[in-house]
Amino acid sequence: MDSTKKPLLSAAVLGGIILACALANILAPGNAARMDFDALLAPPSAVYIFGTDQLGRDLFKMIIHGGRVSIFIGLLASLIAALIAMVYGTAAGLAPKFIDDLLMRFTELIMSVPSILYVVTIQAVLGKPTALSLSVVIGATSWMSIAKIVRAEVRQIHSSEYILSARLMGAKFRYTLWRHLLPNFMPSIMFMLIYNVSQAIAAEATLSFLGLGMPPGSVTWGSLMSLSQDALLTNSWWVIIIPSLFLIITLVCMTNIGEYLRKLLAGGKR
Amino acid sequence: MRLVQMLAKKILIFIIFLLALSVIVFWLARLAPGDPLTAYYGNAVERMSESQRAAAMARLSLDKPIAVQYLTWLRNALTGDFGISHQYKQNVFSVIGKLWTNTLLLGGLSYMLTFAFSILLGVFCAAKEGGIMDRLIYRVGTATSVIPSFFTALIAILIFGVNLKILPTSGAYSIGGGGFADRAAHLVLPILVMVLSHLWYYAYMIRNRVIEELRQDYVLLLQVKRISGVRILLRHCLRNALPMLITIMAVSVPHIIAGTYVIETVFGYPGIGTLTFESARYRDYNMLSALTLLTGIIVLLSNMTGQALSELLDPRMRHEDVVKEGSGG
Repeated sequence: MDSTKKPLLSAAVLGGIILACALANILAPGNAARMDFDALLAPPSAVYIFGTDQLGRDLFKMIIHGGRVSIFIGLLASLIAALIAMVYGTAAGLAPKFIDDLLMRFTELIMSVPSILYVVTIQAVLGKPTALSLSVVIGATSWMSIAKIVRAEVRQIHSSEYILSARLMGAKFRYTLWRHLLPNFMPSIMFMLIYNVSQAIAAEATLSFLGLGMPPGSVTWGSLMSLSQDALLTNSWWVIIIPSLFLIITLVCMTNIGEYLRKLLAGGKR
Repeated sequence: MRLVQMLAKKILIFIIFLLALSVIVFWLARLAPGDPLTAYYGNAVERMSESQRAAAMARLSLDKPIAVQYLTWLRNALTGDFGISHQYKQNVFSVIGKLWTNTLLLGGLSYMLTFAFSILLGVFCAAKEGGIMDRLIYRVGTATSVIPSFFTALIAILIFGVNLKILPTSGAYSIGGGGFADRAAHLVLPILVMVLSHLWYYAYMIRNRVIEELRQDYVLLLQVKRISGVRILLRHCLRNALPMLITIMAVSVPHIIAGTYVIETVFGYPGIGTLTFESARYRDYNMLSALTLLTGIIVLLSNMTGQALSELLDPRMRHEDVVKEGSGG
């Protein structure tokens, strides 16, 4: 297979989308939620290249402004997940067998409930969702598979002599983690992290679509998705397909890049 | 004798897991803002007299330490008493009781069909390694594994419901209807979406496993013995891959459940999933904790069953850390 081909197209498309979102204020200045009552549910045209929704809001503008929130949630959530996973995985990897077993059983236990259930439960407890609370909740419920890999890597590295010598010289847990372990397991979890970002973005989309994510007034990719239920009644395909396409293209590009990194790693290890 | 021992061990682990899960669920429910008494009994608390209130507090052991509270909660939960659902003003379990068969029907059928097709497709692709289908399955698999299933559902509704108008897109049966044909028609789209969004990923996993098997030395020997390729594939390779297949099927359960829950909501299908997200929206904590626990039990049970089955079929599985991916959801 063309396994080690660089995912240039994916990187370019993803870069383009991120750039467009970053430059949202320059490309489409003004309030993204501005309504144009003369153009309710207008199909794509020269004025509104992606059309408008039932409130007359410009879809193009909402997509690039909304992307910022969605990508922010994706990045922050996986950063949180990665931090938890590193500490948890390292702790399990370095701990005596008994504690290690216990910790790993615990991750299995958490994984026995689909994470979306935890997310909705915790979010229901926390109250009104914000970008920050959603990131924390998504991050706090998606660290388990990364932690497993970190643990496996740490176990492997741990038995090497240089860690032993570092510990003999009195290196503390935190020092060993940052100085020795992190640089070693970082490559192995890199693809997981990218996968995690895309999962978090998808989670925000699903939650907002279900009416459990960002509040209706906010502009994110997820809340754009939630417009589709109404759009079905009016058969306005652009409201359903165009925002989702942006989301899906972003996710597929990320997955391609992640897969490339994974294969690179697998190839390097052999 | 060994079998009994193994089963006893599995059951013991299951019970420990279940208790741990119940602690988490109890703790989550307690995190909910507001007075636990109100949370349990709903608005009825406001109409209670002082003595009724005290009796209710005592019944839930709210005047005792948190550990006792948990034990009381657990005892109630074991007898099917999770308190009152705010939204339905009924016992949580009687609400769930009316809906779980719908979910079992949708989820169960989707699960069976997904794996029937995944196995067919996976084996077909493995047999024709490098063919068009084989190269396609990887691409489609990676794409569909990231496409949120609600999007597939929306597209299906847009095509079959809104434009072609040939299939119902909402509910489990028409108003006044409810016959077999009617129910079946309502299941077509949700099941189609479920199968289409999960099929490829698992087919790809199965394909990889079968190809791995095809590279084994014994296949070469069988080929030398002039045994036909189809026979080798079906009689030998698939048989050897079976324990792994079962493991994949077991690990996929949380994935499929999460998918079913979301799909139910998109199609307005009255089931556990719709109920779950509705309860989250209305902050119905008793309902949510019961549903979380219920889902956890189903997943734990299927994991244990899958593990036990594959270990019975292939004792080597006991020592292998087999499937690394595919869980969560």
